[in-house]
Amino acid sequence: MIAYLATALLTLVTVYSTIVSFRQKPEGEVSGWLFPHAANRWTRILVGVFTVAVIVGVAAWVSVATRSSPRRSLQFLIPENYTGWVQVEFGVPGAKILPIESGQAVVKFPASGVLATSSPAQYGWAKDSYFYYSDAGLRQLPSSGAGRMIWGKINAEEAGASGQRNYEEFFVGTERQFKDEAGSKPVPTLPR
Amino acid sequence: MLPFIIYFVTAIITAVHLLTLLSLAAYGVTISPFELLALLGSFLILIAAYISLFRPYAAARIALLAALIMWSFYGPAIATYIHERLAKRSVLSVVILRAVRPEFRQSIEIRESRCT
Repeated sequence: MIAYLATALLTLVTVYSTIVSFRQKPEGEVSGWLFPHAANRWTRILVGVFTVAVIVGVAAWVSVATRSSPRRSLQFLIPENYTGWVQVEFGVPGAKILPIESGQAVVKFPASGVLATSSPAQYGWAKDSYFYYSDAGLRQLPSSGAGRMIWGKINAEEAGASGQRNYEEFFVGTERQFKDEAGSKPVPTLPR
Repeated sequence: MLPFIIYFVTAIITAVHLLTLLSLAAYGVTISPFELLALLGSFLILIAAYISLFRPYAAARIALLAALIMWSFYGPAIATYIHERLAKRSVLSVVILRAVRPEFRQSIEIRESRCT
């Protein structure tokens, strides 16, 4: 829908700006609604107030949405040198809850890359962090920018024969590995 | 006021559209440099909206330049879309399918063949 709207508006701007750019301006032309001269002082003030209101509104919305987010940030711990899909399934009865460390829920994947937890899935904005873990300690994995190692992250709900599933999964690896292997490497899942 | 409204609304709608497309990069979809160029065009149209309050003719030239830049992305995209529609498959699914895992890909293709 937005694609059609964007194309239609772009066509309108192209036609309008072409007409305005190339038309012969008659001598002593009176300002009209279609081809107005410079806006008067009150219009400029109105647009200025509108712009400030939009900027303040967007900033306030982002600020409130970030602060009121009920989601706790997650710390994903992945076995050193693991590449491929990992999946955490939430709300699994009988599974352990996620431990909390320094305000972050810790999701420590075993070598299989799949983890079940009885902790419920949470939704909202929060900054998650990603680490490789080994006996030597933790090594942070970048989730954006150069050297990014986290790709294709999704949160999903799925209703099946075994009931409702809430899970989160993402691919761990370089961009090349993601493009080459993401489609062929299977996502590890819990045994049913 | 009319040029301001036209340029402002176009800049916002096209920017939202392009940012939505760029966000698909998180799923491994390759970003075209023309998408970034078109986003620059959106920004230029936004600037033209404010210039139109003072110098409508200069603003129109900036908006025209920006629109031409944006057509470098939208033109081929529309052509591809029409081509794919004639071939009874949507552009989005063709782009997405490359980055989707095989089991999902199969179900999407089955769903698509039911729709068409």
